[in-house]
Amino acid sequence: MSDLMSLLSLGSNALSAANNGVAIATNNATNANTEGYSRQTIDFESSLLGGVTSGTTGRDASALLQQRIRASAGSLAHSTQTQASISDLEDTLTSGSGIDVQLSNLFSRIAQASASPTDSTLREAVVQATRDLVGGINGRAAQVASARQDADVRIGQNVPQAAQLAHQLADANRIVAKSGDPAALDHREKIAKQLSSLVGGAARIDPDGNMRFLLDGGAVLVDGTHAATLQTSTDPTTGYQIAQVADGGVTRDVSGQLGGTIGADITFRDTTAKKTADQLDQLAYDTATAFNTQHAANAALDGTTGNKMFVAPASVSGAASQLAIDPTLDANASKLALGSPGGAIGDNSGGLALFALATAKNAVGGTKTLTDAAVAFVGDLGSAGATAKSDNDRDQIVSDHLASLRDSLSGVDTQEELTKLARFQNASSAITKFVSSINDMLTNLIQSL
Amino acid sequence: MRITDHRIVDIAAAAAQRNQSTVGELSNQVSTGLRVSKPSDDPAAWMTAQREKVRAALNDGTSQVVDAGHERLVASDGALSTLAGIVSQARDLAVEGSNDTLSAAARQDIATQLNSLFDTAVSTANTINADGEYLFSGENSLTQPFDMTTGAYTGDAAARAVNTGPQATQIATVPGSGLTAAGGVDILPLIKTLATAMSTNNAATIQSSLGGLVTAVNQLSLLRGQTGARMAVLETAKTAHDQLATRIQTSISNGVEIDTVQAASDLAKASQALSISQSVTTHVLQLLAPSK
Repeated sequence: MSDLMSLLSLGSNALSAANNGVAIATNNATNANTEGYSRQTIDFESSLLGGVTSGTTGRDASALLQQRIRASAGSLAHSTQTQASISDLEDTLTSGSGIDVQLSNLFSRIAQASASPTDSTLREAVVQATRDLVGGINGRAAQVASARQDADVRIGQNVPQAAQLAHQLADANRIVAKSGDPAALDHREKIAKQLSSLVGGAARIDPDGNMRFLLDGGAVLVDGTHAATLQTSTDPTTGYQIAQVADGGVTRDVSGQLGGTIGADITFRDTTAKKTADQLDQLAYDTATAFNTQHAANAALDGTTGNKMFVAPASVSGAASQLAIDPTLDANASKLALGSPGGAIGDNSGGLALFALATAKNAVGGTKTLTDAAVAFVGDLGSAGATAKSDNDRDQIVSDHLASLRDSLSGVDTQEELTKLARFQNASSAITKFVSSINDMLTNLIQSL
Repeated sequence: MRITDHRIVDIAAAAAQRNQSTVGELSNQVSTGLRVSKPSDDPAAWMTAQREKVRAALNDGTSQVVDAGHERLVASDGALSTLAGIVSQARDLAVEGSNDTLSAAARQDIATQLNSLFDTAVSTANTINADGEYLFSGENSLTQPFDMTTGAYTGDAAARAVNTGPQATQIATVPGSGLTAAGGVDILPLIKTLATAMSTNNAATIQSSLGGLVTAVNQLSLLRGQTGARMAVLETAKTAHDQLATRIQTSISNGVEIDTVQAASDLAKASQALSISQSVTTHVLQLLAPSK
């Protein structure tokens, strides 16, 4: 009788193990579409006294692969954001008439007015072309500034989100340390991946099982259950936000250490778009200086010299946004200086000299013509855009490949889980019958006694 | 490699998405006719095309200058032609008036004709161009160049150069100094002097004017020849502009525009690929449906 009782106990254990298997398979199947879910496994162990018991629930995951996925997420987010920002600015800067075309239009008008220097209509056309150029450069400067401001706003929105994720990661470390639950590990991975997408960096699992998150420059954002504070502060010089890590009473500027979406926006704001803004400022400065120098040496219709076409920019910095047509010329086209000092009223040698600026290398330290510089500042942005697109394509391929690898290892195949479920159900049915048979035998035995 | 059903759907959907994106890009190219619509599509090609557009704009501007210069020279040549006719008539009248047997009254009649010719000549020499400038005043272009009474020239000898290209200029005006002693004889005063001599029955002056009028005829012929040469230069420049405009357009087309046949073919292929990938996605979803 005691043997029958132990057989009944063995059946009960086996039923419990089969039910655990059913639970795991069901859980896997129901999470087939859950992002970041790693399929769970359960080990069955034969008992020393006979029968079977289910071991602890595990998950199919590779720490090395997860590390690469996190790094890839940061890189992909960085190149995606970079490409989007550059593409938007590129679209803006190529809409309507470009500065290069406005410049060449000005030169064309000067050539036409020079052919009939006393013609007031042609003079007015030059003044209007000058106004158009000024409006174009001012407008482009505003568009670049707006793109940089937009990036700054995004930084301001994303940094608090990253700070929140850092604290969530520290909390996840605490939960993992306490429970070791596979779902908690998945949750931590998900948070770390989101954090990597925002700030780049690298996360590694320490021997104690905690995930440590470091920024690219080495600053520790999350150490075990402790998270440093990621925050923004306004740079008094630029007026833009800088990213800081505050920890233990020490605050460090980590703007240069960030990757991911935030790093992409910082790089776009402070490097790519800044370069465009600087080139535009240089172009505005060079244009105003070159035209003013020649124009001042020429004689206006009234014989006066020293007249300007543009309000002289005080410095290269800000020249594009501050560029303005000279108010005297704006009000009176006869101040357009197309003659030479002491020349007759129909002398056009000054106009010819102004037109010669079209082919003179007066821009970028005497290395480019003004029109070439106008083409180059958008072209350089296009080159950066092409590089970003190429980087993004590469990162997407890497990300897809890693997703395949992860899915191969950790993904849930519903057919597979249904098969397992059927297997566990069959086992459960068989054990149930076995237990029922033992129970019948026990009942018969008891009745016969 | 283990591939889950979830991954199979992802792969099929990604392939369909890629093909849809390709169809979108190619459709955009076919509809706009542009392979490069923004710098990042092909930075080198975009910059080259943009420089060509700048060249085209400058070429268009200087082409209009050439047209205006040519029109001015045509107007100048027309005026010189009129003057040449007047000088020929004056010479004929001078020959007629130089006849010793001619009476003072007859010479008075000739003087009247010569005065009329002088007025017409001065008026012609003071012709104003469409842009409001005097054709023959040199650079003193807003001042009437020839005195209405004496025919004396008050303009200057400067000829105006205009831009015919980014680094090229050509003369496009005819200064009235060519009608003065600087070019041979002072033509208009000579006609006035002849008219006065006829009026005063001054045979000696009439005789001496004949040689001057012959010189004037040659002088105007030479001046018209110079004007014609300048017109020819501008016509050559105009032809060069037209050819350059065509070359620039070709260069832009080669750099950033699509090969229509190739693009249409690529679009057809991409559309077919999209259709296939959509069918595959549908098939995969049917295969993986729980009912199966």
